[in-house]
Amino acid sequence: MKRLLMALALVLSAASAAAQLTIEISQGADNPAAIAVVPFAWQGAGVAPEEIASIVDRDLARSGQFAPIARADMLGNPTTEAEVFYRDWRSLSAEYLLIGRVSADTGLLRIDYELFDVVRQTKVLTNSESGPISDARMLAHRVADAVYEKLTGVPGAFATKLLYISVNRVPGANDHSRLTMSDSDGARSVVLLDTHEPLLTPTWSPDGKNIAYVSFETGRPAIYRQEIATGRREQLTNFPGLNSSPAWSPDGKTMAMVLSKDGNADIYLMDLATQKLTQLTRHYAIDTEPAWMPDGRSLLFTSDRGGKPQIYRYDLSSGKTDRVTYEGTYNARARVSQDGRSVVMVHQTAGRFHIAVLDLVTNRLQILTSTDLDESPSIAPNGSMVLYATKDQNRSILAAVAVDGEAKFMLPASKGDVREPAWSPYLPR
Amino acid sequence: MPRIIVRPALVTLLIHGVLLYLLMANWDTSDREVIRVKPAPNVINARLVDVSEISKPTPAPVKPKAATVKPKPKPKPMPPKPSVIAAKPKAEKPTPTRVPQTQPQTKPSPVKPMPNQRSSRDILAAIVRDELASVDAQEQATATADEMSASFVSLIQRTVVNYWSRPPSARNGMECELSIQLIPTGEVVSVTLIRSSGNPAFDSSAMNAVQKAGAFPELQKLPSREFEKNFRRLTLIFKPEDLRY
Repeated sequence: MKRLLMALALVLSAASAAAQLTIEISQGADNPAAIAVVPFAWQGAGVAPEEIASIVDRDLARSGQFAPIARADMLGNPTTEAEVFYRDWRSLSAEYLLIGRVSADTGLLRIDYELFDVVRQTKVLTNSESGPISDARMLAHRVADAVYEKLTGVPGAFATKLLYISVNRVPGANDHSRLTMSDSDGARSVVLLDTHEPLLTPTWSPDGKNIAYVSFETGRPAIYRQEIATGRREQLTNFPGLNSSPAWSPDGKTMAMVLSKDGNADIYLMDLATQKLTQLTRHYAIDTEPAWMPDGRSLLFTSDRGGKPQIYRYDLSSGKTDRVTYEGTYNARARVSQDGRSVVMVHQTAGRFHIAVLDLVTNRLQILTSTDLDESPSIAPNGSMVLYATKDQNRSILAAVAVDGEAKFMLPASKGDVREPAWSPYLPR
Repeated sequence: MPRIIVRPALVTLLIHGVLLYLLMANWDTSDREVIRVKPAPNVINARLVDVSEISKPTPAPVKPKAATVKPKPKPKPMPPKPSVIAAKPKAEKPTPTRVPQTQPQTKPSPVKPMPNQRSSRDILAAIVRDELASVDAQEQATATADEMSASFVSLIQRTVVNYWSRPPSARNGMECELSIQLIPTGEVVSVTLIRSSGNPAFDSSAMNAVQKAGAFPELQKLPSREFEKNFRRLTLIFKPEDLRY
């Protein structure tokens, strides 16, 4: 009986559908979405520890996906849903509106916020974040992450950290190297290690709790592992020759590295529990800069076995090596996006060094940067941005570019040279 | 209820339904035309845009909607905000153009160029849209009903394309379907998602594209029979083919 009625309903709906014109839209304009981030209301005592809304505003702007509306243009400063008049925001061509309230109680900060779709005049997200007042900036980044994910379908990567090496020239003495960690916007930098010997290639453990790097503090290169919270460190290698490019496996149990203890630079794996070594590549050419594929089944590395540096892939189960890059005379220092699809690398074209992204499915290579002498690309955990080091007026600085090449920004420069950035994975709360 | 009643009743209902269908069905076989945007076979109508047209020194930013012709002035009066009459008088239509609102914004904050960039882009989009409309209006004189219909379909396509900003999670091959309702003034009165792509951000971007387009006032030029037949309800399929992947 039900079935019969449904058949009838289908017949009727088919009758009305048959007369309807269908238009297919297969292209778009992809402009950044205009979002109004209204200053959040401060409901605590005294002065707010941070201006939460402006941190969120700047995060969204840096992503290139959003065009925040200037505060001077806003017709009102609603902080509750009852105060929102969609018409005011439509008149500014705002597509989204974010409002919120911040309160503090016994050392805890709480951010309540609401996100509205101005075009469709609906509330699309209500949420809150809370944590220690000292973490106010991180809480703001988490708000930006939630907004970004809601509106783009991709998790945000604002509540993450960066590692980089800053070098201060000391006239008449050794340079001063600092291993520094900062928020993803460059704020709140802390020095994790301070030395007068060179530091190289800092990298993150997959859980974001440990780091590894190469330090020359014993006079020779050696790989160290350091726990961020405690500062406890351990020297992992002390072989003659090269000890470089540590890279944690996705499961955190193994570390790939480059050693030249047997005379030539090759890729090795170290079991971190037993410190047992396995040699992966055996080639008279230089094999270096290993990077894990996210599934942990293969590694990319740079080798000049073909005459010029190119990216190769080593498959752990078969032990086979394939060449990955063919375009250009120089491709090096690969890093892979979390979805395993995009590889960013240093690519030389017309004598200039740029950052390029290779799509492993279509094999299309796209140059992302227009600066020169770009090096050390590192990709955000959500795959949206690439951080790299470049030169600006004879100084090394950090810059970032969106993987689609549209948005670019430079990190606030500190003193001296800044190089070898490493973007953290998503961090546990 | 006894079967002896239910069965015949249902059969009767079905027969009536089928009859109704046959009556309602459009016997025209050239139905359900799917028009694709891609290789727009239109002649490119270029026009030099005076820079001053885009960036009037003050007061910025002009609302993009302001440039489109509204059928009648909004019944409710606008709040007494400082306002400026649209700078570009339309030749073919006399006034009641909507008065564009302008913000009492004096300094276009030099730190953030983004919103300004955007608004000038919006203005450009509005100019392009105006251009398309006037081109369509010229063509209309000689066009047959079918050609006219096709040109309005293409106008709707081009307008929606201009307003569609896909989220970074969008992929080629994703597809969602919207049903939209128009009234004879060309205004969009409802947008309904009838088939989701499975990606809420993608679906929202499609719905917002139609809402931002807001109205296709050019449709007023359609004979009402044609409007009722093809344009009161439209199905839009959003299916990107131009993304990176």
